[in-house]
Amino acid sequence: MVQDMRLIELKGVCKSFGDTRVLHDVNLYIRKCEFITLLGPSGCGKTTMLRIIGGFETPSEGEVYFDGKDLTGIPPYKRRINTVFQKYALFTHLNVFDNIAFGLKLKTPETLGVKTKREAKAEIEKRVQRMLKLVKMEGYEKRSVDSLSGGQQQRIAIARALVNEPEVLLLDEPLGALDLKLRKEMQLELKSMQQQLGITFIYVTHDQEEALTMSDTVVVLNGGRIQQIGDPKRIYDEPKNAFVADFIGESNILPGIMLEDELVEFAGREFPCVDEGFDANEPVDVVVRPEDIMVVGSDVGMLTGTVESVLFKGVHYEMMIHTGDFRWKVHSTTMQPVGSEVGLSIVPFNIHIMRREAKP
Amino acid sequence: MVNGRRVSKAVKGTYLALIIAFLYLPILVMIALSFNKSVSRAEWTGFTLDWYAKLLVSDAILSALKVTLSVAVTAAVVSTVIGTLAAIGMHAMKQGWSDLMVTLSYLPMTTPDIVTGVSLMLMFVFMKVPLNGGTMLMAHIAFDTPYVVFSVMPRLKQMDPNMYEAALDLGCKPMEAIVKVIIPEIKPGIVTGALMAFTMSIDDFVISYFTSNTAQNLSMLVYSSARRGVEPTMYALSTLMFAVVLALLLVVNRRNSLEEM
Repeated sequence: MVQDMRLIELKGVCKSFGDTRVLHDVNLYIRKCEFITLLGPSGCGKTTMLRIIGGFETPSEGEVYFDGKDLTGIPPYKRRINTVFQKYALFTHLNVFDNIAFGLKLKTPETLGVKTKREAKAEIEKRVQRMLKLVKMEGYEKRSVDSLSGGQQQRIAIARALVNEPEVLLLDEPLGALDLKLRKEMQLELKSMQQQLGITFIYVTHDQEEALTMSDTVVVLNGGRIQQIGDPKRIYDEPKNAFVADFIGESNILPGIMLEDELVEFAGREFPCVDEGFDANEPVDVVVRPEDIMVVGSDVGMLTGTVESVLFKGVHYEMMIHTGDFRWKVHSTTMQPVGSEVGLSIVPFNIHIMRREAKP
Repeated sequence: MVNGRRVSKAVKGTYLALIIAFLYLPILVMIALSFNKSVSRAEWTGFTLDWYAKLLVSDAILSALKVTLSVAVTAAVVSTVIGTLAAIGMHAMKQGWSDLMVTLSYLPMTTPDIVTGVSLMLMFVFMKVPLNGGTMLMAHIAFDTPYVVFSVMPRLKQMDPNMYEAALDLGCKPMEAIVKVIIPEIKPGIVTGALMAFTMSIDDFVISYFTSNTAQNLSMLVYSSARRGVEPTMYALSTLMFAVVLALLLVVNRRNSLEEM
């Protein structure tokens, strides 16, 4: 059942540029109507992956399937995929209307569902207007694209891609050039557009918050390899390795030893936890999110430490608390003065144990 | 101190005035003489347009004009096509190759005209091609093309790096993408390049002189008649050529400064 929902599938995809390998054996499937985000630091291979799906790069090894058919060798103009480019790549010699109509004008009247060229013109007009409405840019038809702000250009780029009714929309860090407030607005708008149109969005970003906000599925990439695939909550709550834990949200990562099932030793003492299935005395990485650490009285805490610094972050305070052998990042709504002795407490559920990555 | 500064200002001013005088005074004198009734260069006997009228009835001048214009127009068109395609190709190359090609195409612009002229002549002679209007045209295409490349290249560099891919993405085949998107995007550079090529071509004497024995363009005509003793018709002809080239350069400069805005 899951099988027939797979719209795009990457099987064993590798990509090298000269001697540098940017993608290692990527296996991934993307479902219909899914909002999937490729997330990772710059140089992790996320844009290359997007470009392979778009048809702008060919994989060095492996195949890409679209609706069960092999896409290898199919040029971009024959794929039912459209792209919103990083810097939008709007055509500066055309006005807003002609930019959006560009793809439709390349189609024959028959594919637009009409008979004559005259009817095609009316149909194009209608579809472009619908798109302008969708991206809230009505009335801008005659404007030159150079006269638009970054946010407006971005809307036109989205309209220009969506007007072709693709099955998949690729977005390459489209919000990167916008300011924070506009970016937040666009995140919500993109998400609602995707739901309204019911098409697949493949979104590339290095911004973990953006990825968590919008996606159904997040694919975390590093060094050309997939680190973890999962829904945002799972990625956040159960990072598979230290890289994911560190990249998604903020974390305290420290070495520990799994003494037995549901008992781990780190920071100089034993903690009850909920993980099992490790070897006895197996060295592991322990992850604790800053908001999962409770600040209590120094006499009742599991650990005691000294507050080294306090930063006000709006909703919470970020404190660095030193416990002798580790410096903890702690988020709390109540502030403790710098220099004070505090106790720290962690409930078993909030201790995440990760197997050590096999060092290559 | 204040005095010193005043002196230095005066020296600078004089220097500039001298440069301008050396550059433009001869041209101004020639323009003035082209309107002089007298054949003599020594006296001003009144204003006339006779010398200009005479240009229109001289077969030698009209045929030279025909050569100049047909060579300039053809060379401009051909070099614009070659130069534009070359620039698009070079832009698409990997950085290292692209830089190498750009340097190679920059070379003919810095080579002295006389070297270009003599070497082209040698090549034609070696290949046993008779030196006529055809060889002159080939030579003009050769030295015009770099000017087109260098007007088009900056436009390509300014362009969004994903422009070509965006065209493919929206349904263009590769050739369609070039014609419907890339060429229109770089059109201002192409037009400037064509104007530059045309200007360089009507302006040229040295290279034409070495690459054609039969066909004579206007600057070759001016040169050969100057050897026989200069007639005021030649002043009129030179004045017209100066005016045309000046006008073209003003257009090119204006386009360039509009571009930068």
